[in-house]
Amino acid sequence: MKHLCVSLLLMSAATTAQSDPIDSALDTHILPRMEELSFTSRRLADVAAQDCTPTSADLRTAYGKAFDAWIAVSHLRFGPTETDNRAFAMAYWPDSKGFTPKALSALLRTSDPAIQTAEGFANVSIAARGFYAMEFLLYDPDLSVAGAPDYHCQLVQRVAQDIASTAETIHQDWNDTYATLLRTPGPDGLYRTEQEAKQELYKSLLTGLQLTADMRLGRPLGSFDRPRPKRAEARRSGRSLRHVELALTSMRDLAATLATDHPDIAARILQDFDQALERARTLDDPVFAGVASPKGRFKVESLQQLVQEVRTRIETELAPTLGVSAGFNSLDGD
Amino acid sequence: MTTRRAFLTGLLATGLLPAPSWADVGNPALLAAARRQNGEHLIVGLSDQGHIQFASPIPGRGHAAAAHPKRPEILAFARRPGRFADVIDCRTGARLSRLLPPEGRHFYGHGCFTQDGRYLLTTENDYEAARGVIGVWDAAKGYARVTEFDSGGIGPHDVLLHSDQILVVANGGIETHPDSGRAKLNLPTMRSNLTYLRLDGALLEQHELPDDLRLNSIRHLTRTQDGRIGFAMQWQGAAGEMVPIVGTHARGERMTLLGGDDPRVLNLSGYGGSVSFSPDGARIGVTSPRGNALQLYDSRTAALIEEHRLQDVCGLAWFGGGFVATTGRGRLLHPAVRDGINREFADLAWDNHLIALRV
Repeated sequence: MKHLCVSLLLMSAATTAQSDPIDSALDTHILPRMEELSFTSRRLADVAAQDCTPTSADLRTAYGKAFDAWIAVSHLRFGPTETDNRAFAMAYWPDSKGFTPKALSALLRTSDPAIQTAEGFANVSIAARGFYAMEFLLYDPDLSVAGAPDYHCQLVQRVAQDIASTAETIHQDWNDTYATLLRTPGPDGLYRTEQEAKQELYKSLLTGLQLTADMRLGRPLGSFDRPRPKRAEARRSGRSLRHVELALTSMRDLAATLATDHPDIAARILQDFDQALERARTLDDPVFAGVASPKGRFKVESLQQLVQEVRTRIETELAPTLGVSAGFNSLDGD
Repeated sequence: MTTRRAFLTGLLATGLLPAPSWADVGNPALLAAARRQNGEHLIVGLSDQGHIQFASPIPGRGHAAAAHPKRPEILAFARRPGRFADVIDCRTGARLSRLLPPEGRHFYGHGCFTQDGRYLLTTENDYEAARGVIGVWDAAKGYARVTEFDSGGIGPHDVLLHSDQILVVANGGIETHPDSGRAKLNLPTMRSNLTYLRLDGALLEQHELPDDLRLNSIRHLTRTQDGRIGFAMQWQGAAGEMVPIVGTHARGERMTLLGGDDPRVLNLSGYGGSVSFSPDGARIGVTSPRGNALQLYDSRTAALIEEHRLQDVCGLAWFGGGFVATTGRGRLLHPAVRDGINREFADLAWDNHLIALRV
């Protein structure tokens, strides 16, 4: 009898895990990726502590892995990443005013002692923190060699340490509280209904697709008369196109989870994602430098178009299954 | 200005002596346009507690509304490029009359009354000439069209009474023509401005944004009792630019832009939907339905002090001790007031603006 109860419990747990998109989004999408972010970010800090040379292969590899992990969660802009501006502390981009290089130059020029402690560093410009700041320190021809060498080393280590501790806090918040909030909606909860919880996940998907189309691809595209290749995300480390692929791959996973109960819709969405990913893989323009030429521009525009198609598919087919209507006010405001 | 003859005509036009006043109505506190799930468009009056007092059908999507300062009637404006403004009796929700813009004009969705309630002023598009117009209607003569004058720019969107004889207009700067719907026709040259006009149309003062913010369209206005203006903008440039969305201005001064380099300004997605001062002028709130955010700024230090995340939030007003917001998901709430209003209307999508008839 006891065994039977246990196995029934297990069975029902298994059924729930399979059929409940929120549980499976948490267990297969969000929590493992947050853990990966936390793990790779700690590894980055450890490697930086050993070797802070900007050209160090070990350091650059560790940086790349942690940055990959961030891009894979960069669409999850709610809850723990929004507390205390953590998402901006991890990733200050787009930076249309160039605050990141300005803030880093100022620190390096004056050897500002604020970076010696975590508390001090928390009070410097938020644009001097996170992965994009680290990219300048490791890859920018000027900022990778600016300032006193010892100070530059300390700054690399501080930025890495700061990334690691922010990543750990985000991961911890997800584990300790936020996963439960999302999993157990209720009248007094942050999410009042299961529907609201699903809508949060849906919204993150849509926002991520929009960011990929409008910012990651749209910013370097600029306009036909004025292409802006230097606006490409993380171009100094050659990661612009890679970010599009990483983000699409991760969002594909979340979309599949949210569409679990609707296999037909899921199939169409995944096919759209695959088309966009295939185009990205064959684009052969890692930092979108080609946007300045008509031919290169056409290739990036067609990738952008495919990302928009994914978004349209999700808005027209997935949204109704989750009880989401397009924003009445946001659609075409005044 | 009011002659005895005009005064009498005014009384007669209301059809009743003495004229009914706001005190006769169940005192609606808030107004907003909405769409029902069945697609019907409404103008809705709400009580202090956020209960619906009247809900009157309007012929198309609404936008903002204006309350007559004395008579219990309101004007519900069509959303641009709409062609109706309905006069609604707040006691019954009945439509008293419908204003149609003159040939070659359409409404932008906002309007206001003069202090004495005699004239209604509406923002309009003279679209063949691509010229912004303020239409003047005589509330004492059944809202007869009296005259019109230049708004001081293209695309006048919001208009407020700044003081007894002075108007302030947000000229958004964007040219549109009904033949091409809501398409933006002049982005390469657009320029928005904030314009102060005398009631006879004389231009008193005009302010533009700096060159690097040329693509920021000043759209919505709020004011403090002492005449400081707050405005919300909508960025027409590339997505992701770090640009201010809220500003303030006092006559004779330069514009102040709020938010500084606080990265959360980016959470507004370049789009201010509604703007409202707190009654003391210390705080100014802005909503963004695109960013699903409501942000509050300290109007003195220009710092962003609070942010609330709300799906499809757009309407915003100060009422009952705090900012009240509405959403396209049917919510009406005080996001930052403990035990404040918090209602959900499953059948309604609230439209862009919420108008408080008292504080």
